[in-house]
Amino acid sequence: METDFKGPPRAGRRCAMTRFTRRRFIETTAKIGGLLAAATAAPSFVKRTIADEKHSEYLKAKVNWRQAEGEQLKILVTPAHYFNKFRAITPHFTELTGIKIDFEVIPPREMREKALLDLGAKTAIYASHTADPMYLPLYEANKWVDPLDDYLDDPTLTDRAWFDLDDIIPLWRAANQVKGKLYGMPVEGECTIHIYRRDIYEQLGLTPPETMEAFAEAARKSHRFDGKIAGAALRGFRGPGQNMYIWPSLFLAWGGRWFDSAGNPQVNSEAGVKSLEFYCNLNQNYGPPGVENFNWPEIMEAFAGGNLVQYIDANSTASVIENPNKSKVAGKVGYGRWPKGPSGRRVTSIWNWAMPINGALSPKKKRATWLYIQWLASRPTQMSSALYMEGPDAVVRTGVNRISIWTDPQYRKVIAFTPDYADVVLTSLKEDTDPDWRPRVPQWPKIGEIMAVAVQAALVKQKTPKAALDEANAQIAKVMRE
Amino acid sequence: MKNRSGLYASWERFGWTMSAPSVLFLVAMTSIPLLSLLVMGTWRIDLTNPMGNRWIGISNYLEMLQDSRFWNAAWVTAIYTVSTVVLQVALGLVMAVALFRQVRGQGLIRVSVLLPMILAPVVVGLAWRTLILTPEYGILDYLAISLGFGSKPWLGDPRWALASVIIIHTWQWTPFAFLVFLASLHALPQEPLEAALLDTKTAWQRFRYVILPMIRPAIVIVVIFRTMIALRAFAAIFSATGGGPGTATEILNLYAYRVSFNDLNLGYGAAVATLLLFLTLAISAIFFRMRGSVIS
Repeated sequence: METDFKGPPRAGRRCAMTRFTRRRFIETTAKIGGLLAAATAAPSFVKRTIADEKHSEYLKAKVNWRQAEGEQLKILVTPAHYFNKFRAITPHFTELTGIKIDFEVIPPREMREKALLDLGAKTAIYASHTADPMYLPLYEANKWVDPLDDYLDDPTLTDRAWFDLDDIIPLWRAANQVKGKLYGMPVEGECTIHIYRRDIYEQLGLTPPETMEAFAEAARKSHRFDGKIAGAALRGFRGPGQNMYIWPSLFLAWGGRWFDSAGNPQVNSEAGVKSLEFYCNLNQNYGPPGVENFNWPEIMEAFAGGNLVQYIDANSTASVIENPNKSKVAGKVGYGRWPKGPSGRRVTSIWNWAMPINGALSPKKKRATWLYIQWLASRPTQMSSALYMEGPDAVVRTGVNRISIWTDPQYRKVIAFTPDYADVVLTSLKEDTDPDWRPRVPQWPKIGEIMAVAVQAALVKQKTPKAALDEANAQIAKVMRE
Repeated sequence: MKNRSGLYASWERFGWTMSAPSVLFLVAMTSIPLLSLLVMGTWRIDLTNPMGNRWIGISNYLEMLQDSRFWNAAWVTAIYTVSTVVLQVALGLVMAVALFRQVRGQGLIRVSVLLPMILAPVVVGLAWRTLILTPEYGILDYLAISLGFGSKPWLGDPRWALASVIIIHTWQWTPFAFLVFLASLHALPQEPLEAALLDTKTAWQRFRYVILPMIRPAIVIVVIFRTMIALRAFAAIFSATGGGPGTATEILNLYAYRVSFNDLNLGYGAAVATLLLFLTLAISAIFFRMRGSVIS
């Protein structure tokens, strides 16, 4: 952690305090031990006892946590707040295992490029990184990462009863599987939900929409009702993780399928065209100015500034818009699952940060990496990081990976923005998502880009939805043939 | 005699020894990557479908002929390069001619026009995107609304977006043209100028028939430099629009980047980058020949 960039201040203080108490404890014990012949053995015994107490939850696992002692791992993460929390409590892992973790913290796109170069060149610089699950099929096709099943099934490495894999949100695990094997461990995630101004809904006599049609109607009625506020916004910025993080939900809710049974792309089907028309009409008619370049931060800012009635985006934005220091609308917000599309389905996004094991590592480093992934994804770590506050103004984690934490009263209290927030998210995670929400094929980077361009070209009226999707469909067909 | 040649030989050896580290560094940092780029361009290296990777000769280049997105990028590059260079030369020239007789405050002007150039292009792109062009809140849009033109989707509409990135580039780099022209105006011999004062009737004639021919070498140099830079522009567009909306501002450099690092089609991306390299070299060669004829 010494080499870490910002070095979370709380963690440092906490470590210093631990050392202090430990030293005092040792001193006291030594005094009590006094003239005993065992005096030389006492300090190590005492140390072990204290460590045992702090790590008692982990020591219940029947694995030797110190089997890769002395290893040093480098891990790539993004500067997101939840990774800051992980980084802050990672010194406990080092204490438990003797494995040192160095983090490299860079924004998502740059992080992915670095990870890909490292994997592709087999330089084995990064033991793991926080991967986009959509890239796991690509990793698998190139044999860049190890299947985690090998590690899960090895009793010297994993206590399956203690780790309780089934408790980790099932659809996230499904999204991280390729050909039936798990390639990335979900450590944090989210889904998209409908977020709206409860006060404006009440003022205008609107009810939370059950269907996408009603959603558009609410946007129409509230748009500029005070002369200023925009009715609704969906991400407009181009990118596989930007506009293509929203439109796939519409596409599937309109009954769309990415490929037919023969493997031909179907994005220009009626469902595709109709859902893209809906997306364009909504943003063009009721969106804030400039929405075609809005990614989630811009949408969240517009909402927090009181310039937007509603949006559908990540549930994690709640922790910012409910913070009175950062938002004008804290306490005036309502949450709901995605409205139903014409097919009768509600479709939310599927997303988690997946941690793979770099296949080019030495066997011992692989074991060390697995121990870290296991520790990070375990219930005690997920819980303590969810409750960890790096400062009084810190945002809380809204993407823990375990069902048992989502139903834990202690955690639900932390995220009780509204009485039903936790249930809205949990139900969405359980019922409204679909591992094949976007095409999980090695060619995804290309397909995602083709679709992102098509969706934005339609939004800015460079092409009609039909023409944009026809062109995209032909391009995807070509990519799949190559 | 023997002694002198020995001295010479040891000098030569000394010279090579001293320059070896930097030569080796340059070879390692530029020549080897360049060669590997040329080689990669003849391979199919597609990480998303690694089974089919093999040597394919010029197929990547043949594929470009049928790639509509490549042609779009080539067209955007042409518009972007020509218009930014023309605007920079024209504005730089106007500013230089207007200001070079001005004695008071010229130091201040020179320093202040330097400012855009010393900013990193990424910063320029982001600052324009957020502070100046944001609908309703950006300075330019605020002015447009206040003056009664109404809010414009500066980066949201395909045509406005291309115009916007051209304006951004022109804003940042016109000072370069201005300073070069100003310096060459100051360096002009005084006699022909004084003679011209007698021989010409209007200021336009003086400019057209006396000043312009005399600073033509400077203009050619500016055109060469600015064309080379415009052809490989990247950061400002990347941070302002990311090549969008759609593909409206996707120049060849951005396209090569996307193909390589987003689509992970490294062979094809290398071929696009190679083509851009030779295009830049060819255009520069033509300009340098023109410059040669100007000077002789």
